Amino acid sequence: MPTRTQVGVIGSAVLAPRNPERASLEEAQHAATHAALRDAGLTIEDIDGIVVAGCDQLDGRAITIMMSSGSVGGVGRDIMSTPSSAEHAFVLGALRVRSGMYRTQLIMAWSPLEVDDVSATQRLGTDPYFHRPLPLDDLSSHALQANALEARVPGLREAAVAVTEKNRRQGSRAYPDYSPAPLQSKLIAGGRMLRWPITEGMVAPPAYALVALVIADGDFIAERKIADPAWVRGMGWATEPGFLGDRDLATLPSLRSATEQAYREAGIDLQRPQFDLAEVADATPYQELVALEGLGLCPRSQWVEASRRGDFAAGGRTPVNLSGGALSFNPVYCTGLMRIREAANQVRGCAGTHQQPKVRTAVAHGASGFAMQYNTVVVFGREPLEQVQ
Amino acid sequence: MKTPRVGIIGIGQSDYKPRRADANYPELVREAVKLALNDCKLGLDDMEAVVYSLAPDALLGIGNAERLGVDAVGARNKRFMRINTGGSTGISSLAAAHSHIAAGACDVALVAGADKVGECGDSQTILNKIWDTTYERPLPLGTITMLAMSAVRQMHKYGMTEEDMARIVVKNREHAALNPHAHLRERTSIEEVMNSRMISWPVKLFDCCPQSSGGCAMVLASEDYIRRNKLEAVWITGVAHSSESYFIGDRMGIGYTADHADAQALGEACHRAYRMAGVTDPVAQIDVAELYSPFSNTEYHAIEAAGLAKLGTSHKLLKDEGWFKLGGRVPVNPSGGVLCANPIAITAMVRVAEVALQVWGRAGGHQVKGARRGIASGNGGDHQFFGAMVVEA
Repeated sequence: MPTRTQVGVIGSAVLAPRNPERASLEEAQHAATHAALRDAGLTIEDIDGIVVAGCDQLDGRAITIMMSSGSVGGVGRDIMSTPSSAEHAFVLGALRVRSGMYRTQLIMAWSPLEVDDVSATQRLGTDPYFHRPLPLDDLSSHALQANALEARVPGLREAAVAVTEKNRRQGSRAYPDYSPAPLQSKLIAGGRMLRWPITEGMVAPPAYALVALVIADGDFIAERKIADPAWVRGMGWATEPGFLGDRDLATLPSLRSATEQAYREAGIDLQRPQFDLAEVADATPYQELVALEGLGLCPRSQWVEASRRGDFAAGGRTPVNLSGGALSFNPVYCTGLMRIREAANQVRGCAGTHQQPKVRTAVAHGASGFAMQYNTVVVFGREPLEQVQ
Repeated sequence: MKTPRVGIIGIGQSDYKPRRADANYPELVREAVKLALNDCKLGLDDMEAVVYSLAPDALLGIGNAERLGVDAVGARNKRFMRINTGGSTGISSLAAAHSHIAAGACDVALVAGADKVGECGDSQTILNKIWDTTYERPLPLGTITMLAMSAVRQMHKYGMTEEDMARIVVKNREHAALNPHAHLRERTSIEEVMNSRMISWPVKLFDCCPQSSGGCAMVLASEDYIRRNKLEAVWITGVAHSSESYFIGDRMGIGYTADHADAQALGEACHRAYRMAGVTDPVAQIDVAELYSPFSNTEYHAIEAAGLAKLGTSHKLLKDEGWFKLGGRVPVNPSGGVLCANPIAITAMVRVAEVALQVWGRAGGHQVKGARRGIASGNGGDHQFFGAMVVEA
């Protein structure tokens, strides 16, 4: 088998404008691009191609990625867009570098808050005949998934509350400017019910943010003497069917498929995966638990016990969402790419106040769509795959 | 690292029509997938990844409508992503699938999509929403007015006339009459085009593409897979994209970044694709071209951007020497092109499909004799995103 081109994350940025009315989305894109390039020590002239992801409905524009032409440095460059999800932008960028046709890629996704009603916008994503009158938005779909899981796993609610409490505690340490204050278990469980069984404390309100990453191939990284990249050792992505009625919402076979792709590529034992940490989808705490199972880190039979023991808290067996996850900061459309960035930065050793010491491997998981329709898994390491093998 | 070769092994196209009341959106996608799989004699289980080709959601009235197409393309639990670069989405989706295979992520990838533009209500009202909310949307811009301004500039800069524009329509309708998939297949004359209703001067009704419904799917595979399974294939030897600015105002007036008469970024995309394919003299080395041209005038600057004529000369070469007709020096849009069928989400994929059929020798009545190498292009956004692909036998 020919040697595979190695891909590393060498720069990143998150921008969460505090006064969005004073800066247009294009200006924010421009600022995020510059910040990511600065972090990578590159200029736009070093970038061969760009993959962006935006959501037309949230942005209030048809073909929203058009506006990014100038602001992300796309004029005269190759811009591609994956509106299916922000995570897919990372996957496509990495594939483009691996193909040998590009040495570098800039990847960006954004999630503005300019629409009057996020829920109504999400309802446009349902088929017009069967589901749209329900009404079904992202949160309703996540709640249906939580219901299906609660019906199968005794004591699950206790684990969901513990996950929420953990992530909000971790989020308030990692990003005190963005994240809400920690919340006691009692207040999480007994809070206002949004969509049963999801309480107000179990989700973070939608936020405005942009996330950008810079990736490059191994030769470029060596030539530029770029220190401490996060090497992509494995990637997997897969989808569930579109109609919720066609799915068993208590299972997530597409995540299993994505995990198998990523672990096989990374040479990781599917039965006994080991990572220094994980960043996983957690639009609700139930998502984090189902993600841990899909990634082979914790079967559902152990969710309650593992949560009680703090296996996935800072200092536990495998810390999960040290960033606080989407439960602490929720730029709706970008959360998957945020998880990928967080895991990469932990491996690069630049995660900031929530940096875990001696991180050598990390796994990121992003989910998008109703009840986690799309699942993407990325395995990062301090060394490229070839050296490990 | 040398990029591994990627082949096209299956092609499926609907017959493009103004409406398809007999098929809903996912059914239309499925129709094309079935045709493409039959073409390469493979099944859905053989597809390891799916790249979904879907342009603005607003044309379908469903947000992220690709989610509803997952089962239509057999993608359940498989690698799946959607691409959208506006009108160039189809060629961009093929480029993404090319990356999947060239990167070694999989050996076989399905690219599929469909559109129902004729059933969206008023596409120009929807397409007005692609522009900036503050500066250009209120003008009001549409894709017709946008490219009518380009035509005015072409007339001023190169002396192109309304009759020259009509000549493209006559040529493409002549070609489409030979293509059973085309939407507009009736032959026409310069007089008829000139007498058609004025839409946005100098663009008349017959200078415009139709609003079409239909699907297209293609199967791509690695060279290793093709050899191992002894499959027939044609090869993608060049692939590239480039972009212009978002604001139309940046392409005209004092200090413009690119001249709105031309297709500068399309030229960059074609040049990069040629470089990858080793093409140094397009006129001599390209046998056939399918160039995305939704309005008659834009075919001229697409021909020039593809290096098939010098800047500002293509209208004369068609008028005086018939260069771009079937039987001419370099036939352009032998399928009838976008002027004769425009199901937006897949229109640029159809350009590649048609070039592939040509170099395969399977184009039927509109076959260019002896075609071995061709170029296809796609335009998206506000004449902003451009893709190019060289396909060889």
